[in-house]
Amino acid sequence: MSSARNRLTLPDRRLARPTRRQLLQLSGLGAAGGMLAACGPSLGGDDGAEEPAEEIDWASIEPASEITWWSNHPGETKDLETSYIEAFNEEYPEITINLVTAGAGYDEIAQRFQAASGTDEIPDLVIASDVWWFRYFINGQIIAIDDVFAHLEVDTSDFVETLFSDYEYEGKHYAAPYARSTPLFYYNRDIWSAAGLPDRGPETWEELQEWAPALREHVPADGQPLALSIGPSWSGWWFSNIIWGQGGAMSEEWTVTLDSEEAIAAGEFVVDMYNGENAFAGFGSDTNADFQTEIFACLVGSTGSLTGHLEAADFEVGTAFLPNGPADVPNVPTGGTGLAIPSSRTPEQQLAAAMFLKFLTETENTAIFSQETGYMPVRTSAIESDTMAEVYEETPQFRTSVDQLQEKTRVQDWVRVFTPGGDQIITDGIEELVLGGGTPEDVFPNVTTQLDRAFEDNVEPYL
Amino acid sequence: MTAQVSAAPQATSRPGTPNDRRRVINRRRMRNLGIFALLAGPNVLLLLVFVYRPLLLSFYYSLLQWNMGSPVARFVGLQNYVRWFTDPDTPQIMATTAIFAVATVGGALVLGLAMALLLNRKLWGRGVARTVAFAPYVLSGIAVGMLWLYIFDPRYGLLSTLLGAIGVDSPQWYTASPWALIMIIIVYLWKHIGYVALIYLAGLQGIPQDLRDAASLDGATKLRTFGSVVLPLLGPVTFFLLITTILSSLQSFDLIKAMTDGGPLGSTTTLMYQIYVEGFQTGRAGYASASATILFIILLVITAVQLKYMEKKVHYA
Repeated sequence: MSSARNRLTLPDRRLARPTRRQLLQLSGLGAAGGMLAACGPSLGGDDGAEEPAEEIDWASIEPASEITWWSNHPGETKDLETSYIEAFNEEYPEITINLVTAGAGYDEIAQRFQAASGTDEIPDLVIASDVWWFRYFINGQIIAIDDVFAHLEVDTSDFVETLFSDYEYEGKHYAAPYARSTPLFYYNRDIWSAAGLPDRGPETWEELQEWAPALREHVPADGQPLALSIGPSWSGWWFSNIIWGQGGAMSEEWTVTLDSEEAIAAGEFVVDMYNGENAFAGFGSDTNADFQTEIFACLVGSTGSLTGHLEAADFEVGTAFLPNGPADVPNVPTGGTGLAIPSSRTPEQQLAAAMFLKFLTETENTAIFSQETGYMPVRTSAIESDTMAEVYEETPQFRTSVDQLQEKTRVQDWVRVFTPGGDQIITDGIEELVLGGGTPEDVFPNVTTQLDRAFEDNVEPYL
Repeated sequence: MTAQVSAAPQATSRPGTPNDRRRVINRRRMRNLGIFALLAGPNVLLLLVFVYRPLLLSFYYSLLQWNMGSPVARFVGLQNYVRWFTDPDTPQIMATTAIFAVATVGGALVLGLAMALLLNRKLWGRGVARTVAFAPYVLSGIAVGMLWLYIFDPRYGLLSTLLGAIGVDSPQWYTASPWALIMIIIVYLWKHIGYVALIYLAGLQGIPQDLRDAASLDGATKLRTFGSVVLPLLGPVTFFLLITTILSSLQSFDLIKAMTDGGPLGSTTTLMYQIYVEGFQTGRAGYASASATILFIILLVITAVQLKYMEKKVHYA
């Protein structure tokens, strides 16, 4: 017993009086730790901004012979994207493009892109969604495309203004629009007809609330008139429509304005929609599928789902603008993704990527992309192109989303799309309202605190 | 002279002076060290690069305010730790982590042992049953999570249909806060009890039949034999499983990611999942590293406590 105790205490004694060799070992460990630490980010003060990069004379650069494109193939477009590469190679056979499936969604790609930062495993062209591109920008991970686009004579004035402006900060653009979408109001025309409603979407949320009792009679007991799901990259998106319709906003530039009367009214309306006496909204594990199987009579969904609904639904699908609130203002947020060019690639690779990006966003290609998926054509010339005219004639529902894009969209509130984690914080707040029984007066101050903290920690020092 | 002659061979075979002896010993030590380095070196190198290096780096990053992906960071000392301990979400995250760990570890040990006892009996098709029982453990957690999402779906799921057949409404597994955690725990147990059962089965088969026979001759019932002979002799196995299942439970991520994303209302956000959210979704790499360091310390303390106190109660046959 005694010897056992001695054995157990022996290491302590040795540590208390280390030998010269142990000291050398420890100092070696310390040195190793220091060397390892040197592999991380460089330490700076409050101002993390890097020196402005030297301007590149794009005319003197030859494009690289091989580039990599990270995509999640939005709208199940892997084959379409492959066909774009083949078409590009007919014009530029000397540039090989490797299409990599880098994630199942925008978030997965973004997380992989950030994790790969500082390594050689960075693509030359990357998906940059509305809630992620700004984070790439403040981390210095992507370049402004204005100069290289000017060199390539890309007509940026032809881009749909809202869609291109979404990637603008301090006069420069950091991505080009690619698979862009807006929320759209879908409705089951058969149920509408059975309920004796006019064949159109509701003008206002109030009108939908009035229609709800008639619609409820035509959905199952576990259904609701409106399908409106909650979750990341979604709740904050449709909430933009609600809060703008009330005349408010989530923020004015970086100042969170969720304490305004309009914001509180928007929060109260959300509570009413799901949990009030005249509640008319619900959700399921897959609200798109639930709408297609007539568990819900109408749905707020992405325009990117339009083709899927038209193919899967056994009823006539109607489309309409998102309902208005009391305020008569543009109230439809844009969303989806653009494509950005990473800053750590060589100018040759960046030029080749920009050439391909120019090709992808050309009038005919964006029209075909829209035709195949339901995403927005990103050029005004594409909206009125022959390709799209054929589409409108065959399926008039496409026209609704394009008209809404031109008439009702507005650039999103910074605090949702620019603040890292902002969308998630807002999503959590809406969950509190819908699932947790919270009131906007209780929930929004906490959301504001978290958004302010995220800005102070993750944005302000880097601007 | 004679003495000198007889001493000469000794001088060639054994060093005469203490310095010579030390030199030989040192040479032997160097040779042994060389062999040790040759044999253990590659493994040690891999451990250093892939285990200790990230560990040290993570601790270093926990002292920074650093956006994931940014080339620059700011040294903030222990600020991330202060924030973690004062964050209003921390108590809920720790409570969820504790509930999840206790339920999954306790459940896996009890159900795994029961399954092992069953599989240890001479049953028809025992080999197939053992394989089937172990199979979920080798499946991908994401795939398992996706599969069970369909089963739990309150509207279309198999479970909902079964409950409906007996007149019970399905709980709202995805959106009601206690049910989401229960759902994750059920799926975790389904996936892991095969592993626990397999280890227990090996332990059961290592218990000499003589001891059971002796207990039987002494008039012990089956229950008494199990409680007084089998269970104590399974002590080392239980101890091993306790350590490995606690570590595995506290590091669980894939099922939560696939099934609930930490929701609803954060009710399935464990400490491990918080690290992912902060690091990769919010992008606060420094804060995420502080959370990771705290998780590491918790695991270290739990393991140390287990080794110090519980190992004493283990009976080695």
